[in-house]
Amino acid sequence: MNQSKTMEAADRRFGWFMSAPSLALLLAVILFPVFWALFTSVHDYTLIAPNFDTFTGAENYISAIQDPAFRHSLGLTAFFVAAVVLFEFLLGFIVALMLNSVERFKPIYYGILLCPLLMNPVIVGLIWRMFLHPSLGIVNYLLTVVGFEPVNWLGSTQMAIWTIIMVDIWHQVSFMIVLLLAGLSAMPKEPYEAARVDGARVYQSFFYITLPLMMPVIIVTLLIRMIFAVKTYDLIYIMTRGGPGVATDLVSYSIYRTAFVSLNVGEASAMSAILLGFILLLTVYLYRYMRSLT
Amino acid sequence: MLKQSLLSLALATGLSTAAHAESVNILMEGVPDTEYVKTLLPEFTKETGIEVNLEVVNYAEMHTKLVPQLLASKGSYSAIVVDFYWVGEFTKAGWLAPLDDMIKADNFDTSVYVPKMMDLVGQVDGVTYMLPFYNYAMGLLYRTDLLEDEANKAAYLEATGMELAPPKTWGEYLEQVKFFTKDGMHGVVNQGLRPDPIAMEWSNYLFANGGEFHDADWNATLNTPAGVAALEQYKTNVNEYGPLGSASFSFDEAFNVMAQGQAYSYITYNFFRTAIDDPSQSTVAGKVEIMPVPGQEPGVGASLNGAWGWAIPKSSPNPEAAWTFLKWVESKKIAKERAMQGGSPTRIDVFDDADLNAKFDYMGAMKDMLLTSHNFPVFTYTPQLVEVLGRELSLAVADEATPADALAAVEAEMNELAKKDGKQK
Repeated sequence: MNQSKTMEAADRRFGWFMSAPSLALLLAVILFPVFWALFTSVHDYTLIAPNFDTFTGAENYISAIQDPAFRHSLGLTAFFVAAVVLFEFLLGFIVALMLNSVERFKPIYYGILLCPLLMNPVIVGLIWRMFLHPSLGIVNYLLTVVGFEPVNWLGSTQMAIWTIIMVDIWHQVSFMIVLLLAGLSAMPKEPYEAARVDGARVYQSFFYITLPLMMPVIIVTLLIRMIFAVKTYDLIYIMTRGGPGVATDLVSYSIYRTAFVSLNVGEASAMSAILLGFILLLTVYLYRYMRSLT
Repeated sequence: MLKQSLLSLALATGLSTAAHAESVNILMEGVPDTEYVKTLLPEFTKETGIEVNLEVVNYAEMHTKLVPQLLASKGSYSAIVVDFYWVGEFTKAGWLAPLDDMIKADNFDTSVYVPKMMDLVGQVDGVTYMLPFYNYAMGLLYRTDLLEDEANKAAYLEATGMELAPPKTWGEYLEQVKFFTKDGMHGVVNQGLRPDPIAMEWSNYLFANGGEFHDADWNATLNTPAGVAALEQYKTNVNEYGPLGSASFSFDEAFNVMAQGQAYSYITYNFFRTAIDDPSQSTVAGKVEIMPVPGQEPGVGASLNGAWGWAIPKSSPNPEAAWTFLKWVESKKIAKERAMQGGSPTRIDVFDDADLNAKFDYMGAMKDMLLTSHNFPVFTYTPQLVEVLGRELSLAVADEATPADALAAVEAEMNELAKKDGKQK
């Protein structure tokens, strides 16, 4: 008994010892910047006068929340995240289910699907900007060839956000596919066999076996994708700069502008903290939900 | 033998290091004018023994790379180049070293510069911080072949009662934009992307209507008849006479439309005049000319000025060597050699140089553009003003704000920034 306790303690020590370097690194590159940003957010810190001389309390937070442009960005980002995550999930799940039943050439399909994911978002933005050029781009050319009117992809306030959503789906859907496919291939075969013996139809096995068993994987996938989608910055910077008007002014781009154009790092930090708060709430909720399932 | 050759090798290396002991490091933007400087550097090293290392990056990276170096007590850049956007910020933060003592000691003549250049990227409140490097004033690119076409001439005369010729006034130009929008051709192509493409382009419209950004006391003067007219005209040009989608064009996309022969005119940076004659990127080489953006009266220019300046940061490790370089690169001889390669001058004596005018027949138009140009407000918050202006103009073009409301919003924020900067009392 005693011996096993010492062994356990030794194991624990060894565990700490092994993870210490990575923990220290995480502390240095994640925890420290987060606290630094929180500290900055309660000071009047600008790039013109980069010092912590003036403590401002909640002032930066108040002025961020009172700023209609920031509130618009938050709302728009919520819409964008909901749209991309929903469409990518539906599309991704369908493709993953199809791929799961494929026997031959699986690695080839994988390879093709992973291509967009391997590309840098900046490159994706530049390529699509070229494709979508209203008069010189290939997309509108092909549309006119088959008799459609050319579309104002990025220049119309109604269309621009959907164009960004479409490009994001093209870029990120394979992430969903790969994660969901991994979940599907790890599923036990027995319940399906039992269901088949009992005469269950395909859609019944899907709704009563696949979906419930996949739930934890689905939640994690949605969560990761949501957090990534909130951070979308590159596509906006390359494709629209938030325009036309404020039609694509997502929150990350808005924070970037506050910090590096307005040089107001204090308020930008407050905006980031508000965003972090939302993401944390969402994460906690989804994590709890996942725990309740298992 | 081996020992001897090793010794001579060591000596040779030692000597060469001694001869090239000093080096000047400069951060520059990857643009043609930087390339022209690069080709001439061996000459400088030969003359002075000072090596020059150019670190060339793209525009988006420059500010991020400069600021930490400027904040340090000893940075790694001996000299830097400063966009007019940053002049207010850099001087307010006290990052640039005044050049007046060195200018005086060496009798370097700054009166040779176009005065507008010195106002923009030379002096701030009477202190010289920079030497103007190259200018990128905006001009009106227009299709000469369309103006010379006999059928067009007759049709234009019939429609407007005016002769078809390069527009002398802004009103005449707007008529031509309307006239040339036909048969799949567009009268104009605009760069409506926010923030700087639209803000810079629209500034020309403002000046063309006789408007300015602020009065002598820095009170914003945008929500005025001139400002509103400028924004109405801009909106009409984008939405009625321009190609689909120009509300989101950056300058490269707008240039491509012009270069593919799909538009009659394009108000843009002067360096595109050289590019439009390059057959590898243009189908209208030799058919496009540049002129100052016309104003309300003939001879009144409405071009927006823009420029880069050379400066020595206070954190420079070797300001003397940096000054040696600056006065060399800005000497008449080197400034002319840069211009002969296609560079954009800032010195009047270079603009008037006979060899240069013989080589580029549009040099006179470039000089006129600069002499009659207007400056964008230069203060600590220039980048922020561009951001606000870009956002509001874009909203107006997208029909989500009326021109008057959009300009009133810019005015309010501009006044606040000017107050914060101590410009407005």
